[in-house]
Amino acid sequence: MTSIGTGYDLSNSVFSPDGRNFQVEYAVKAVENGGTAVGIRCKDGVVLAVEKIITSKLLKPGANKRISTVDRHLGVVSAGLAPDGRHFVSRARDEASSWRGVYKGPIPVSALANRLGSYVQAYTLYSSVRPFGVTSIVGGWDSEAELAVDGQVGSGPQSGSGGKVKGAKSGGPGLYMIEPSGLYWGYYGAATGKGRQAAKAELEKLDLASEKLSLQDAVKEAARIIYVAHEDNKDKEFELEMSWISSLDGPTKGKHEEVPKELLEEAERAAKRALEGDDEDEDEGVKGTGNEGERMEE
Amino acid sequence: MVGHGGLTGMLGEDGIHVDMNHLKSGEVNLGTSIMAINFKDGVILGADSRTTTGAYIANRVTDKLTQVHDTIWCCRSGSAADTQAVADIVSYHLNMYSIVNNEAPSTQVAAALFQELCYENKDMLSAGIIIAGYDPRHGGQVYSIPLGGSLHKQSYSIGGSGSTYIYGYCDANWKENMTEEEGIQFVRGALREAIKWDGSSGGVIRLVVLTADGAQRHLYLPDNGYAGPGATK
Amino acid sequence: MTGFDFSNYNRNAALHAKGVPLPKATSTGTTIVGCIYDNGVVIAADTRATSGPIVADKNCEKLHYIAPKIWCAGAGTAADTEFTTAIISSNVELHSLSTGRPPRVITCMTLLKQHLFRHQGHIGAYLVVAGVDPTGTGLYTVHAHGSTDKLPYVTMGSGSLAAMSVFESTWKPNMNKEEAIALASEAIKAGIFNDLGSGSNVDVCVIEKDKPTQLMRNYMTPNERGQKERDYRFAKGTTAILNEKVFTKEDLRKYVTVEEISGDPNLMEVDP
Repeated sequence: MTSIGTGYDLSNSVFSPDGRNFQVEYAVKAVENGGTAVGIRCKDGVVLAVEKIITSKLLKPGANKRISTVDRHLGVVSAGLAPDGRHFVSRARDEASSWRGVYKGPIPVSALANRLGSYVQAYTLYSSVRPFGVTSIVGGWDSEAELAVDGQVGSGPQSGSGGKVKGAKSGGPGLYMIEPSGLYWGYYGAATGKGRQAAKAELEKLDLASEKLSLQDAVKEAARIIYVAHEDNKDKEFELEMSWISSLDGPTKGKHEEVPKELLEEAERAAKRALEGDDEDEDEGVKGTGNEGERMEE
Repeated sequence: MVGHGGLTGMLGEDGIHVDMNHLKSGEVNLGTSIMAINFKDGVILGADSRTTTGAYIANRVTDKLTQVHDTIWCCRSGSAADTQAVADIVSYHLNMYSIVNNEAPSTQVAAALFQELCYENKDMLSAGIIIAGYDPRHGGQVYSIPLGGSLHKQSYSIGGSGSTYIYGYCDANWKENMTEEEGIQFVRGALREAIKWDGSSGGVIRLVVLTADGAQRHLYLPDNGYAGPGATK
Repeated sequence: MTGFDFSNYNRNAALHAKGVPLPKATSTGTTIVGCIYDNGVVIAADTRATSGPIVADKNCEKLHYIAPKIWCAGAGTAADTEFTTAIISSNVELHSLSTGRPPRVITCMTLLKQHLFRHQGHIGAYLVVAGVDPTGTGLYTVHAHGSTDKLPYVTMGSGSLAAMSVFESTWKPNMNKEEAIALASEAIKAGIFNDLGSGSNVDVCVIEKDKPTQLMRNYMTPNERGQKERDYRFAKGTTAILNEKVFTKEDLRKYVTVEEISGDPNLMEVDP
């Protein structure tokens, strides 16, 4: 690595002469070793999935969750250093709660992403701290219903409010990914961790921008993508963990919940089947796209 | 303890709040008639224009309809200093909100901010505020925050000392989904009665109509029985 | 005993309970006015300062400088109007320096109202703020509790009712400078003659677009002290002499005895 021995990589608050912050880049390396995490945003909800590497046979299966609920309508999954991820979630919960305290309503996903981005960025500025060793995916659903102000009495006119404009922006899904630098973007599909390249390639094939994929199908795709991403890391065992948030008339009624056991298992079976099929496909012709070398780099 | 009887929000000997709306001597008071209503296309706010210090009218053409964002306004009653300060603070926060979140705040957000200030500082404030706003998603909405700092969503709201005289008028004449013209007539008629019966209310009638087209001010003068001139600007 | 001593608090509370009033501050029981005209704004004030029923100053200044083109007329507690306007003047100048722009009347008004609101009416300053800035002409009143009003003509202080009666009966829109000065000083005179708290002279300040501000100290002196027609001196011989007796110094000696004190004169010396 070019930075070693130059001294420019020792502190957060020091730039290298060519304008890089090596501490942040090292944090990204920590993320690149973490289990793959993906998020899929579709019209009627958001799915979060993570490949949880089993580091010991003594760990209880299904325990030690890696996806967290931040507020009723918000979930976070991260790849990288798990304790950093937990601190990140703790901050996210504080932000969501503080928003409720001031505005008496749920925080929009975009606003949470913005605040968390600012928080993570602040850890790249000072020599007394190190950057976050996680890249986090924030998924949520902004309610399409007209929410009351917390603590309000009464509900206004019987006929409802007048002068509404049809088609005015009213809630919907949100998916954001926040990197150790504090950089964040909104995504249709987001992937991070060890198998992110494979996962991203799969996500791109889904044509999420057209919003044709249903939430139910997205759950299956997310499971399959985690399995595909695990292909390059086959020596380690893993558990698939998934959560989702649907619209108010969907299965979770706007809340962030674990994907039910039956659906998860069904998705896993389908993923394994697809993978077996894929192997056959690969034998036939997908081999030699020439992408492999490029994928592994970065 | 000595010398505390006259202060705002102090407890009496029986432990009951006394004199909540007491004004310090010389403080400027909005002995007022204010109201806001929902109608078919949005909301209408209305107010008289009298500001008093004791028996003296300190301002006979006061503007008690205060803008806190593009299409979120409020009607102020109680202490002029307190309500101006609260409105200024809310206005600042709503401006910041729209910049940080890159979208206009909803009326709910404004109501929540007003309520937080009025409730947390209830011992120091004498402010009765009606918030009315329009946004494309929720349409028009009316919220009322009376003295203690509670928040009420209402189809229409009346407030200030003059409002006591027009509960009957409003109840008898109110109907939902009025047209703009009907709404204006309703508000103007109600305020005309409030001004007639309440000594602390008077001057001109000011209205603000909030719809998808934005904010439109109206002015009605006592010279001709509050018949005009009507829409201004 | 160490630490704080609160015995004066208890004493004051006891005195207050007995009905002993607080000591009186010098207040400018006052008439101040302001009036917008076609090309600027004029403010005016009387010059009497009172302390209870006593006239403390017959020719005080109630027009305060904020910025070259923003001035304040002050009523209420004299010390509070003086120091409040001074501190806001200072802040306005720093703000103007940091923005590189001429200060605005509304900025000054906002600083004043926030300062006064923060102190919850304990600063007894009642002010008329007037001036000209790049956005136009501004005229506001600011009350001690922090409320403000924006009007084409304003009055404040104990003489505000008398002054307002002049405005309400003779004000007309689009006046020129001379008319505005005449109206404002007439309003002050109404305060001087009809309000016990106001008196002495009329001070006027004219702030006009693109012209230097004119402070006209003692623009009118309607209460000049005239020549006294009589005095209290009496002519010699007014009081008749009934009898006369003259004592000399020598006559007095017989009333005096002198005694020498014996003993060591050094005993009287202490710590030379």
